[in-house]
Amino acid sequence: MQLLETLINGSLIGGLYGLIGLGLSINFGTMRVVHLAHGDLIVLASYLFVVALVPAGVPPLVAGLIVVPVMFAAGWLIQRVLVGPSLGRGILPPLIVTFGLSMVLQNLLLLVATADPRTLHSSLASAGVHLGSITISTVRLLDAAAGLACLALLLLLLGRTALGRALRATSDDLDTARLMGIDPRRMYGAAAGIAAATGGVAGMLFAATFTVSPSRGSELLLVAFEVVVVGGLGSLTGTFLGGMLLAIAQLLGAQLFGPNNALLTAHVVVLLVLVFRPQGLMPRTAP
Amino acid sequence: MNPLAGRGPYLRGAIIAVAVAVLVSCPMWGGDGVRTTLIVFAYYAALAQMWNLLAGYAGLVTFGHQLFIGLGGYTLAVGAERLGFGVWPSFAAAAVVCGALAVPVGALTFRLRGGYFAVGSWLVAEVFRLAFSSSSYLGNANGMFIRPARSVDPWLVYYIAIGVFIAIVGLVVAMLRSRAGLALMAIRDAEDAAAGLGVHVWRLKLIAFVIAAAGTGLVGALLAVYTPFVQPDAAFSIKWSAEASFMAVVGGIGTVEGPILGTAIYVVLQNELGGRGEIHLIVLGAVSIIVMLLAPGGIAGTLRDRLGWTLFPLGRRPPPRAG
Repeated sequence: MQLLETLINGSLIGGLYGLIGLGLSINFGTMRVVHLAHGDLIVLASYLFVVALVPAGVPPLVAGLIVVPVMFAAGWLIQRVLVGPSLGRGILPPLIVTFGLSMVLQNLLLLVATADPRTLHSSLASAGVHLGSITISTVRLLDAAAGLACLALLLLLLGRTALGRALRATSDDLDTARLMGIDPRRMYGAAAGIAAATGGVAGMLFAATFTVSPSRGSELLLVAFEVVVVGGLGSLTGTFLGGMLLAIAQLLGAQLFGPNNALLTAHVVVLLVLVFRPQGLMPRTAP
Repeated sequence: MNPLAGRGPYLRGAIIAVAVAVLVSCPMWGGDGVRTTLIVFAYYAALAQMWNLLAGYAGLVTFGHQLFIGLGGYTLAVGAERLGFGVWPSFAAAAVVCGALAVPVGALTFRLRGGYFAVGSWLVAEVFRLAFSSSSYLGNANGMFIRPARSVDPWLVYYIAIGVFIAIVGLVVAMLRSRAGLALMAIRDAEDAAAGLGVHVWRLKLIAFVIAAAGTGLVGALLAVYTPFVQPDAAFSIKWSAEASFMAVVGGIGTVEGPILGTAIYVVLQNELGGRGEIHLIVLGAVSIIVMLLAPGGIAGTLRDRLGWTLFPLGRRPPPRAG
């Protein structure tokens, strides 16, 4: 029974982890950049949500409608001003720029909001649904629902809209896309904005599900990396499978080896996947 | 036209000889404060040089290099404190352990390319940090004191630090001037083209990775002798990679003198900003971004472009055409 509860909880949290990885995957899929500040952007969204907006009396749902566009704008701006100018000169410049941004964001948050852990204080956080002897918290159901909704929206956007076609064209063949009148800088800006917006949703859910502090940005970057690698590079759907595997590994690790070893267990599982199945669970090129 | 033209070899020899003489004669003119500053400079410069060998020459940008700082430190701690092998045999063992462990770590992380390699190596360092934190033999999250290192003469630590620094610079210069160095730079500039010309890309990257791991292991062990203390969160901190990348980028990535110049700037900056950790790291991040966007060659690269002169010449000219 406990195992079943772990599997259910793991799958639900996996939806949130998949969402965390989605942004990293979008950035890499369009411009081949591993955005090392992605975890810190997620934490920034958490802080906007639980430190700036909700305590000021803004209802959580309205706060969400503010955070997502703000994060889109932040992602777009970072792309146009910092990451974009570093592209085209090899792998080093975008890595140094996004890593530097990660250090700046993380430590600015530490200065402004201190290292105290924060969480969303609302009736939502303690509510639960009873299924026989198993209790599932509402927040975790919301994690999975929101994660899958974001994935579905993104797949629709990429597959069915003109913007999506242009994004895929830029990813597949930059030069030909340019010949067809697509401006890659606009595409990169849109992709980075969308990635940061998914990070905005992830940040709010993360703050509602767990506690958040500035230093968790690095941990979230590693989560994003792990679900992308486990899911299969370039596969957006695989990211969610990776998220579930990671979350289940963490919960089982906590049960078997103690709560202190939850992260370690998940990391080791990821390294084992890299040893035995380096292409990930769902290998595919960009969708 | 160029004030330095034709005087290269003499000027270089003179600068290097004076620098070495100043460092070696330090006990005659410097006090404890100078000694401390120069020890810090030496281990940071050695770390930055090793990071630069990977990122600037082998095309391996890593944010997991703290793995070898931590592993070197713990090798020394276990050897000297737990097993009683003595401080200096354990110090040498740190290089061997780190070099040996770099083989499986490299074999695994080289499956990831570019930015994913950078994060993948970070993940491996995290695994070691968490595993060492839950090992009671290693003192859990509290780490361990290295009592045998307390009685080491600080001037001996100084000479070992300077020795490690000079040996690492010499090794890097020798390696880069060899055939293997040319092949490494070819990999960095165009990996597929280098492979097409018969360069053993994977093997050469692994050799560079092992050398950088062994050198960084010595830095970690040196730090453990100097402190004398190891603790997992500090030893395996991402801070080491952040500092190494800052020093290499600001000084000039892909040059040998760059990381040395970058370290000098870093040590001055650290003394100025010492108090608050957050402001210190914000400055490091912001300066790295600005240099990367506005002067990607760093100080050494900009000087090379302006003066056409470098302290450690590694460039090659094509042979003159026949006829």
